[in-house]
Amino acid sequence: MRAKTRAAVVASLSATALLTACGGGGGGDAGGGGSTGGGQGAGGGEIVARGCQPQNPLIGGDTGESCGHDIVELFTSTLYKYDPDTAEPKADIAESIETTDNTNFTVKIKPGYKFQDGTEVKAKNFVDAWNYTAYAPNAQYLSYFMEPIAGFADLQSEDPDGDGPQKGPKPKAAKMSGLKVVDDHTFTIKTTTPVSNLPVRLGYTAFAPQPDAFFKDPKTFADKPIGAGPYQVVSYEKGRQAVLQKFSGYSGQFGGKVDKITFRIYQDIEAAYNDLLAGNLDVADELPASALVAKKFQSDLPDRWAQKAYPAIQTIMFAPDKVSPDYANPKIRQAISMSIDRQKIINDQFDGARQPATGWGAPGTQGYAEGLCGEFCTYNPTKAKQLLAEAGGFKGKLTISYNADAAHKDWVTATCNSIRTALGVDCVAAPVTDFATFRDQIGGGKLKGMFRSGWIADYPHIENFLTPQYSTGGSSNDNKYSNPAFDKKLVEAGTLEGEASLKAYQDAEKMLATGMPSIPMWYYTAQIGWSEKMNNVKVNVASGRPDLLSATVK
Amino acid sequence: MTDTPQQSVTATAGIEPGEPSTDVAPAREAAAPARSLTSDAWRQLRRKPAFWFSVVLIALFVAMAAFPGLFTSIDPRQVFDVRQEPSAEHWFGTDGQGYDIYSRTIHGARASILVGILTTVATTLIGGAVGILAAYFGGWLDTIVSRITDVFFAIPVLLGGILFMSAFPSDQSTPYLSVVLKVVAALTILGWPSLARLMRGSVLQVLPNDYIQAARALGASPWRIITKHVLPNSLAPILVVSTINLGVFIVAEATLSFLGIGLVPPAVSWGVAINEGLTFLRTFPHIPLFPSLFLSLGVLAFIMLGDAARDAFDPKSR
Repeated sequence: MRAKTRAAVVASLSATALLTACGGGGGGDAGGGGSTGGGQGAGGGEIVARGCQPQNPLIGGDTGESCGHDIVELFTSTLYKYDPDTAEPKADIAESIETTDNTNFTVKIKPGYKFQDGTEVKAKNFVDAWNYTAYAPNAQYLSYFMEPIAGFADLQSEDPDGDGPQKGPKPKAAKMSGLKVVDDHTFTIKTTTPVSNLPVRLGYTAFAPQPDAFFKDPKTFADKPIGAGPYQVVSYEKGRQAVLQKFSGYSGQFGGKVDKITFRIYQDIEAAYNDLLAGNLDVADELPASALVAKKFQSDLPDRWAQKAYPAIQTIMFAPDKVSPDYANPKIRQAISMSIDRQKIINDQFDGARQPATGWGAPGTQGYAEGLCGEFCTYNPTKAKQLLAEAGGFKGKLTISYNADAAHKDWVTATCNSIRTALGVDCVAAPVTDFATFRDQIGGGKLKGMFRSGWIADYPHIENFLTPQYSTGGSSNDNKYSNPAFDKKLVEAGTLEGEASLKAYQDAEKMLATGMPSIPMWYYTAQIGWSEKMNNVKVNVASGRPDLLSATVK
Repeated sequence: MTDTPQQSVTATAGIEPGEPSTDVAPAREAAAPARSLTSDAWRQLRRKPAFWFSVVLIALFVAMAAFPGLFTSIDPRQVFDVRQEPSAEHWFGTDGQGYDIYSRTIHGARASILVGILTTVATTLIGGAVGILAAYFGGWLDTIVSRITDVFFAIPVLLGGILFMSAFPSDQSTPYLSVVLKVVAALTILGWPSLARLMRGSVLQVLPNDYIQAARALGASPWRIITKHVLPNSLAPILVVSTINLGVFIVAEATLSFLGIGLVPPAVSWGVAINEGLTFLRTFPHIPLFPSLFLSLGVLAFIMLGDAARDAFDPKSR
C-alpha cells in the first residue's frame, strides 16, 4: 500500500516536471490548457488532498456532510458561489434573481453555461433536480432544503409507523407547484412563507442543477457524477480515492488552478499527517491532535499551515428520547452541560485553538449573538450537581460516542473526565469505526446515550444552525427534537425582514436552552497544512476547508 | 555436587543433536535416586543471577497486578493538570488527559499479567493434552491432530488475533474480565498448536523406552502409563517453551490493545497507554516512555526465566 502510494507520487511529480518542460505548449492530453480565472500563480500540476469516506452517493441533494461535500463542491456549480474570503454569495450561474415580496422570485440564469457532458444548463435542470431532491421516495438527505418552496408538502408522505420498516404511501404529487419553468433560462420560485435569505441559501450544493443524464439513472450516475463545476470526476472508488480533473469547458468564473485533484481517503488523520510530512500528501484539511500539542505543526510545517475561525460548531447531541429515555429529562442534560469545563478542555486538548460555545449558532454568520445558551453553557459544577440531584440522579454510565477516523478521541475523553469529576457519574468515550458508520448508526437510532456532532454552516446564516438540526422533522435533527413554539418562531422569523428577522431567530435559539437537545461545546477554528510543492493555499471562510480552487502548484 | 551434571554432559555427547535430553533422565534417575531431573534443574537454576533477577521482577509485577493499592493510592482515572513532567508528586508525570502515569502503569500490569498467565495455562493444558493423546494413541487421531495444527500454523498470531477480536468486538460496557477472557481465548486458539506439536514430539521419544514397554507388559492402563511414566519424562520442553511464550502473549495483548481491539478504555493496560501516549512521542516523550519501559521489563523477565529454565532442563547446554 505504502509502496504503491510512493510510486503514484513519483509518477505525479514527473508529470509535473513534464508539464513545466512543455512550458504550457498547448495543454496536451492532461487537460492542462485554459487556466480560468485570474490571480497569481501558474496553473497545472496535480495534487493529492486528504479525503474521508463520503456517507452518501455523490449527488448534490444527497450530500450533507463535509467528506462528500468537498468533492461535490468541485464538480457542481450553483446559482451563487460563496466568496472564499468573505463568505458572501456571488452570482455564479444566476444572471439575476428578482422579487418584490420575498415570496415570488424570478430566477434568470446565464445562457450557455455547460455541463461536463456538453449539454447546456437550462431552467428545467434546476427545477427537475429540486423536485427530485424534494420527492420523499427518493430519500434525498437534503430534501428539507426544498421545504420553503410551495408544494413541498405534496411530495412527502407520512410513514405509517414512524421510522419503522413500512414504507409510506405514494406522495400526492411528483412536482412542487412552486417551481415553474418560464423559458430555457428563466424559472420562478414561489415559497409558502416569505424567505429573506434566498440567495444565501441557493449557493449551497443541495441546489445544484442536474444534467438530463442524471434523471435517466440516478443510481449509476453517482458512480461518475456530472455537474457544471470547474472539475469533473474521473473516477471514484469508495474507501480509496476520488480523482477529479479540471473541466476544460468550464463556463463559470470560479475556475481552479491545478489540473488534477485526488482525494485520497484516509481512515486515520494521523496517517494523513505523516504522509503530509513525507510529501506524499499535498493538502490536509485537518491536523491530528499530536500535531496540535504545543503547536507542533507550526514547526513541522514552517509557513505551510493556516489557522482560521469559520462558522462551525461542535456539539454533543443526545440520542432521541425514544432511544435513550434515561437522558430525556432536560435537567440531566443541563447538568451534564454545566459540568463540562470547556475552556480547560480547549487549553488541554487543542492548545487553545477553539472558542467556547455560548449558544447553538456560530460566529461569522448573519444573526449570531453571544450567550444565547446562558448559564447552562457555563461551567458550574455545584449547580450541575444540584440539577442532577433534582432530576433524581443518573443510573449507569454516561457514554459519548464519536467517529474514530478523525481527531475526536482525546477531547471526548477529556469531556467525559470533566463530567465524571464534576457529577460523580461515570462517563466513557465510545469509538465508532468511521464517519459513515457513525452517521448510519445515528440515523438508524442505534446509537445510544450522547454522541458528538459537528455542524458546518451550509450557508452563512444563523437560520442554518437552527432549522435543519432542531426544527420538528428537520433532516439533521438527530435528537428528533420537537418544540412547537420553537418551530413557530422560526416561521415567524422567515417572514420578517432584516434585523427583526435576525432577532426572531435569536429568540428561537434561546428557547433551545429549556429542552437542551444538544450541548454546545465550542466553535471551530480550521487548521490546515500543505506540502512544499503547494502555493496559495488558504482557508475558505465559508466552509473552513482548504480552498482548493485558488491553490496552485509551484 | 557437580558429579551428575558432568556425567550427563558426557552422556549426551554421544547422542545425536536434536535428540532430547529427556531419555537420559530416567537412566540417571535409576543411578542416583535422590536426584530427579527437576531437583537437578533446581540446583542449576538457583546459582544463576539471571534467574533470581527475573523471579524478583515477576514477583513484583504479580504483586502489582494483584494488589495495585500497595504501590499507589492514586485512582488511575483521577485527573490532574495535563502533560506534567515527572516530579515528586507525580513520579512519572501526567499524560494528555491529566492521568497520573505512575498509577496507570501500576494498574496496567493487571491486564498484561492476567492475559499472560491465563493464556499460558490454557495453551499448556490444551496443547499438552492434545499432544500426549495424539502421540500415545497415534493412528487416525494423530493424523487429524497434525493436520489441524498445520491449519493453525498457517494463521499468523497477530492476524488471527485481529480477526477474532473484530469478530467479537468489545465496547465500553463489556465487563473487564470478559474482555480479558476474549483476548485470552483469541491467543489460546492460536497458541495451543505449537505446544501440542512440541508435546507430541517429546512423547514420541519417550514411548519406545523399555520402562514404557515394561509397564505395558505388566498390564498398566493407558491412563496410568501416561500419568506415571510418559508425562513426567516429557514435560520439560513444554514447560520451558510455555514460560518463554508467556512473555510473547503479553506482547500480543499489548499489540492488540495498541491497535484498539484488545482492551479498550477505560480499561487500563500498557498497550492502551502506549497507544494513547503515541500522540506525544515527539513533544512529551515521557508519556509513552514509562508504559513501554514496564512492558519491556515484564516481557524480559518472563523470557529470561524461560531461558534460565531451558538451560537448567537441557543438560546439553551446561
